[in-house]
Amino acid sequence: MITCKALRWGAPGQPLTPAVDFELAQGSLTGVIGANGSGKSSLLKVIAGLQKPLAGKVILGVPRRGSLSFLPQQQHLDRQFPISLQELVAAGFWGSKQTPQQRSQRLQAVLEDWCLSGLEHRPLMALSGGELQRALLARMSLAEAPVLLLDEPHAALDEQGQILLWKHIHAWHAEGRTLVVVCHDLAAVRQHIPQALLIKSSGCTLAPSKDLILQQPQTQVA
Amino acid sequence: MHFTAHLWLPFHDFVFMRRALLGGLVLACSTAPLGVFLILRRMSLIGDAVAHGILPGAALGFWFAGLSLPALTIGGLGAGLSMAGLAAWITRRTGLKEDASLAAIYPISLASGVLILGIAGKRLDLLHLLFGSALAVDGPTLTGMLWVSGFSLIAMVLIYKPLLLDTLDPLFLQTVSRLGPLAHGVFLTLVVLNLVIGFQAIGALMVVGLMMLPAIASRFWSRRLPVLIAVSAVLGCLSVWLGLLLSFYYSLPSGPAIVLVAGGLYLLSVVFGPVHGLLRRPPLLTSQ
Repeated sequence: MITCKALRWGAPGQPLTPAVDFELAQGSLTGVIGANGSGKSSLLKVIAGLQKPLAGKVILGVPRRGSLSFLPQQQHLDRQFPISLQELVAAGFWGSKQTPQQRSQRLQAVLEDWCLSGLEHRPLMALSGGELQRALLARMSLAEAPVLLLDEPHAALDEQGQILLWKHIHAWHAEGRTLVVVCHDLAAVRQHIPQALLIKSSGCTLAPSKDLILQQPQTQVA
Repeated sequence: MHFTAHLWLPFHDFVFMRRALLGGLVLACSTAPLGVFLILRRMSLIGDAVAHGILPGAALGFWFAGLSLPALTIGGLGAGLSMAGLAAWITRRTGLKEDASLAAIYPISLASGVLILGIAGKRLDLLHLLFGSALAVDGPTLTGMLWVSGFSLIAMVLIYKPLLLDTLDPLFLQTVSRLGPLAHGVFLTLVVLNLVIGFQAIGALMVVGLMMLPAIASRFWSRRLPVLIAVSAVLGCLSVWLGLLLSFYYSLPSGPAIVLVAGGLYLLSVVFGPVHGLLRRPPLLTSQ
């Protein structure tokens, strides 16, 4: 589904790794781990087509536009932007052919799924970090894309929110979607995600997460 | 005579006042969404760069073709776009901060505009170019204003959704659609078009005020984008109407009169506006 061939990425002239090859199968759930600055987020952007690779290429089994959904880290959103939570979430309907009635039902269902009912008309600036994160995840639910790229989806979420998040990630995985999740929480990766891609300056390793994250889950991966 | 009659009699009695009013009102309506989006996109200074850039272009147009609407418009359009483009290009190529790059463009444009007018002779009143004159809105200018306003309102309706998403969350829009850059381009073109068509009635430096002041003031009245745009249009129309009356009764140049009314409305909004105005004090970032 996602095939990287001789891929190098990073700032111009400063590739983060030697050229790497790996393939993420259709319907796979992969955690991306590595130290700060190792290039996890930018790898996601390269796969999403939002950043150009320095060399090599990323081949997607599906057309990029419309079949790929990307959850960026939330700090790039302007919290003062004058729209409501509902309008933000409803952007996930972009390109959908549903009738207004179907949309409204689907929107209600998704808001309920992410425990956002009752917050529909809150302006962005009045949302907590966790509420905003759940709104972005709800928007992703609406888009129904076969490929989902999530950058630190658990950031800003409290315990309840994280339980909700992993429940949805497992559900998406069970539906046969291809997921790539950047995650700092190694314990969570070990527990919830079958395979992991470890990025180091010497190269990338794709392996079952239980093999990559061996010891005490809290310790840093060497 | 009853007091309220003063509010509409000049427009009843004089064709040029009616033209200026109509032109100003449609301009206020079409610049409202542009100003609001400029602020949301953190591009409030671009309007100023374009407006300053219009000057040398209009002056050149006047030098070569005399006082003709197409010459002034084409000159202003070309120079306004290239000045804003030059600033953006320098920023992109050299990493000079955007506000610094724009601030460098203002004096260059203004000075070269004034110099060109000096060389061209004093036949075109510099004050008119800078600050506008209600008398300048003749038939063809008014027609031009109506066309530009109508065109920009329709275009804004068409690009509203992609422009909104491109402003709020460009990464998201990029993954679902390729309309983002197109919406941005159309939007910038509309900004320049409106500034160029407005500068003859209100003045090159003043038309930015009509675009930005109501938009900034509207922020104190609502948290919803459509309401912000509507409030901004209403404040703009009010400024045009009251400003033209001021300019008529006290023989003031129309541009500054309109912009000062808009400035007054802005200050009133800062004080009395229900959304974080000075007299309201719910803390800025908590829920309502």
